[in-house]
Amino acid sequence: MSAYVVGGSAVKVDRHFELGYRDLAYRVVRDCSECLDVDYVVISSALPELSAHQIDLGTHVVQWLGRRIPVVRVESGESSGLAAVELAASLVRSGGARKALVLGIEKVTEYPTYTTNYFYTLTLDYEYEVLRGVTPPAYASLAMKELIKSGIRRECFSEWAIRMHENATSIPHAMLKFKISYDSFRDAQVLADPLTLYDSFALGDGAAALVLSSTPSRSDSSVEVVYTNAEVGLPAYARERISDLSASTKALKVAVEKFGLNLRKVVVELHDSYTPYPIAILRALGYLSNECGLGEFEHLNLSGGLKARGHPIGATGVYQVYEVFKLLTTGLGGRTTSSEYGVVHSMSGPDNLSRVLVLKR
Amino acid sequence: MKLSAPQFWRVRENQYKLVITICGDCGKKVVFKRPTCPYCGSGRVEYAESAGVGVVEEFTKVYFKRDSSEDRLPEVVGVVRLGEGVRVVGEIVSIRDSEVREGMEVEAVLRKYVSDDPYGIIYYGIKFKPV
Repeated sequence: MSAYVVGGSAVKVDRHFELGYRDLAYRVVRDCSECLDVDYVVISSALPELSAHQIDLGTHVVQWLGRRIPVVRVESGESSGLAAVELAASLVRSGGARKALVLGIEKVTEYPTYTTNYFYTLTLDYEYEVLRGVTPPAYASLAMKELIKSGIRRECFSEWAIRMHENATSIPHAMLKFKISYDSFRDAQVLADPLTLYDSFALGDGAAALVLSSTPSRSDSSVEVVYTNAEVGLPAYARERISDLSASTKALKVAVEKFGLNLRKVVVELHDSYTPYPIAILRALGYLSNECGLGEFEHLNLSGGLKARGHPIGATGVYQVYEVFKLLTTGLGGRTTSSEYGVVHSMSGPDNLSRVLVLKR
Repeated sequence: MKLSAPQFWRVRENQYKLVITICGDCGKKVVFKRPTCPYCGSGRVEYAESAGVGVVEEFTKVYFKRDSSEDRLPEVVGVVRLGEGVRVVGEIVSIRDSEVREGMEVEAVLRKYVSDDPYGIIYYGIKFKPV
């Protein structure tokens, strides 16, 4: 049996102080006509125990939506969203569900940013990294330094961020819909030298929904999930180079070879929590030289990526799949593509766990 | 922040010492005493204690504000290549952040990690200072 994405919706990634987890869930489902006719719900969320004192979030959300259907919550760090889509596709393919609703929901504004920063840091190993003062931007900074030493120009990382902001300007649900320039980096707040705030993702609340079905809907409004894969990498401290993102590179390479894809031509959404990571991955796959070459990609992170659409941690993967689904079908933010395939990449931490999903028109 | 006494006590050997795991199959070494080799998955491992001296291979000055970090920013986080050949990530202390250099020789010291202020548990563990 096959699994098709037949519908979806997304709430603007933002600081939704007036909306909690279940409010966000209600809002995104309310805007999605296909979302009500389902027999299973998979919820992805990384932080509710920490940010909302809530375990078993999935059950409480489904009850709030007035439904009596089975639900499971998926938590897999920053890759939770893509893990949830992977699980839903598996349920649909196996006959465990006829139609599954995937709900990615996250709240990151319940506490001051420095508290949410601490929650986010827990994507690393608490006992062996976090307590030792190691943080995600520290790793990203060290990766950036390694890449610069190996010949990549600093401007390549800036170019990534500039392109993401440019892309996000037309995306209805993007958080940062404004352009930045190379000058922006000159006075940017430093997170971990040389990594700046402009090299980092935007932190926002969010909710996105997808409906996966064992049968396609009208031919122009559904896409097939043709491939999912997950790879676990080495802990960053155990690598010879922190910028060696072997799990992501391997997962993407397998997908590229299996379907004969050229990432410069197809719709691609890469996990760009920090600018060094997509640059390291594309370089390892042979798409980037020291001179960069981001301009050669036709449909790279048209959503604006985590950088500018925003990163509602456990919901981000659902946003990514929703965006690729829209780009392959009815269009997103006024954009359509003729690409037959769409590739989604999501990872947790500095390549601790990386997932890839391929959609086919 | 609520700190757990049992959780930290369980991992005290890896927090108070620099233990190296040596794989009996692939021969690779990695920091921390662990039951399996992260490179090949083998459970045939041996352990050795590091002398705690190494060289800073990479470092960054971190301004990332988070709970428990307020009183110590900026902090210098570095990758230290120990004399036994393995890399370990940790804070570099007892030196002005502007004076940290790649290639600098450092040694492991016991320092405060975090505490349940003002009267709670204090976690101590390994950081690095110049030799």
